[in-house]
Amino acid sequence: MDDDLHSFLPLSPATLHILLSLAGEDLHGYGIMQEVARQSEGKYKLGPGTLYDNLQKLIQREWVEELGRRAGDDDPRRRYYRLTLAGRRVLEAEIARLAEVVREARARLQIARPSTGKPRRV
Amino acid sequence: MLRRIYRCVLRLHPPAFRSRFGDEILSIFDQAKGKLSGFQLLMDSMLSLIRQWTLRPEFWRKSVSAPTPHAALDGIPSFGTLNPFRPRAAGVVPGLILSIAIFSLTCIAIKYSWIHVLHVRIPEVQFQEPQWIPPNTSQPVFPDRTAASMPHDQPAMSNVPNAHDRTPKAASRAASNPSTPSAVASKAHKNGAVQPLPFPQPTAQQSKGNEIALTSPESEQTAAQPLAATAPSTFAEDMTLGAAARHRVIDGTSAIVRKYYVDAELAQKMAIALQDHETNGDDNEATDGPTFADLLTSQMREVSHDQHVAVIYSAVKTTENSPAPSAEEVARYTKEMKQNNCTFEKVSILPRNIGYLKFNSFPDASICGPTAAAAMAKLNHADAIIFDLRDNPGGHANIVALIATYLVDRPTHLNDFYDRSQNSTEESWTLPPVPGNRLADKPAFVLTSSTTFSAAEGFSYDLKMLKRATLVGERTSGRGHMGAPHRIDDHFTIRVPSMKVSNPISKTNWEGTGVEPDVKVKAADALRTAINLAESNLQKK
Repeated sequence: MDDDLHSFLPLSPATLHILLSLAGEDLHGYGIMQEVARQSEGKYKLGPGTLYDNLQKLIQREWVEELGRRAGDDDPRRRYYRLTLAGRRVLEAEIARLAEVVREARARLQIARPSTGKPRRV
Repeated sequence: MLRRIYRCVLRLHPPAFRSRFGDEILSIFDQAKGKLSGFQLLMDSMLSLIRQWTLRPEFWRKSVSAPTPHAALDGIPSFGTLNPFRPRAAGVVPGLILSIAIFSLTCIAIKYSWIHVLHVRIPEVQFQEPQWIPPNTSQPVFPDRTAASMPHDQPAMSNVPNAHDRTPKAASRAASNPSTPSAVASKAHKNGAVQPLPFPQPTAQQSKGNEIALTSPESEQTAAQPLAATAPSTFAEDMTLGAAARHRVIDGTSAIVRKYYVDAELAQKMAIALQDHETNGDDNEATDGPTFADLLTSQMREVSHDQHVAVIYSAVKTTENSPAPSAEEVARYTKEMKQNNCTFEKVSILPRNIGYLKFNSFPDASICGPTAAAAMAKLNHADAIIFDLRDNPGGHANIVALIATYLVDRPTHLNDFYDRSQNSTEESWTLPPVPGNRLADKPAFVLTSSTTFSAAEGFSYDLKMLKRATLVGERTSGRGHMGAPHRIDDHFTIRVPSMKVSNPISKTNWEGTGVEPDVKVKAADALRTAINLAESNLQKK
């Protein structure tokens, strides 16, 4: 199973952000867009076309499921989406991968730092 | 407005995607309108549209809301559509009315629009008639697609320059005394100058030479013409040509070339080349008609570089004399010309009083003279005149002279027609001035293209030499020679240019080189350029 998961990694930025935004609570499409913008401090903006293209894919892979409409919502056209167990595992795997990348990167950058000056003569 | 466009783009998405997410996306659009720019949202939907149709074929038909496919019954074909949408029955009627209205408007626009954005060419099958004049024809006729010489005893209308009223120098055989023996003798040929085919004949000839068809498709029809009058062939197609048969054909070819080919020196060279090749045994391999005909053609072209020379093989026997066109054929040509307004397509006054005349052949003046005169009369008060010859394949010399008459104030020598076979030269002159004509000193422009042929090239060339018109467009095709098929024997025919045009000013013609325009632009831009030139010309005045 883990091997299956890893074949999907690394995730595309859009997929990662969507999964991440659904990790906390169930959201509708516009909610996902707002959450993604908040997480990235406005640096990553998702358009509805990209969002639903990704959701379509995620639903097919069963990482996200559709919950349908909610009674009493402002806009009856909205549908809500939830992260499935499989989706959560993929997200966790991706986060672990990223953590490893970050750790490795930090170690490298620390070693590299002194050599940034002019070439020294021996 | 933006929302409408956005909705349209959404509607263009694959049906499955649209039915599943369309409402939600629109709801986001409604909510995000203030926060995201409309342009960004639109771009996003466009990208999404492209992505869904190109990269996501697996989702095109998959949808939770997609209708379940109908089970196909045995033997009954079932059809699937991308879009499960089905129009209301009541919607069919307005749809039908709208379609008819749009179709009609488009047709009207094509027919009446002044700017011919759409050059819809309707093939004129009946125009695919022979152009090559047979030997000894007495009236200069440029090979073209409409040519069919007519009797000359038709009454001329009062406003047509009178062909019988010329100066002695302007004598044309059409005006010569019909009681003289030569005129009587030539009268039979006049009717037979060019014989129109009843309809395009499925050619039985074996000519493989596609280049023949390209250089002059009409000539093959003429060559095939005797077929119409001949009994079905008794000729065995696989008959092989022996040395004796080849020798006869070569002798016949040489004799005809020597007699008729416009340039006597080149004719001699071609005949010698043919005989040399025969002596060297170069022809021994050619044992079937088509191959031999092609071989002789290429041997002569090697020497003369004249693409108009061609030996043509016909599997069916050709008859001795080409029949003259029947009264019926003459009547049909006349009727065709009447129906087509003598190929005068457009006569109009453009803004700034610039006259514009587009005609797509030079039809026989004895039939179409009145039409040409009426067209010129309509443009008589124009301050400048544009002749559009871009789609003009040529025709008769008599109407070249007639139209040119309006551009000069006295009878003017246009061309000499030299006939090698008779060693005679005939002069072509404009007619006496038309009373009341005001165009003689007005700026004139001629639009040309690479498909301006023959008599149309003659008209352009003459006016250029006289410095009477500015030529605008492309270099013309370069057909200055005229010829006819000559029978060699039962199966071989040769096409030989026997008549050439010579301009009295340049002492030469446009054969091979084409007529170079004064202002070289693409044919499609020629009208616009000529209008600009005319306007600036008129402004100076």
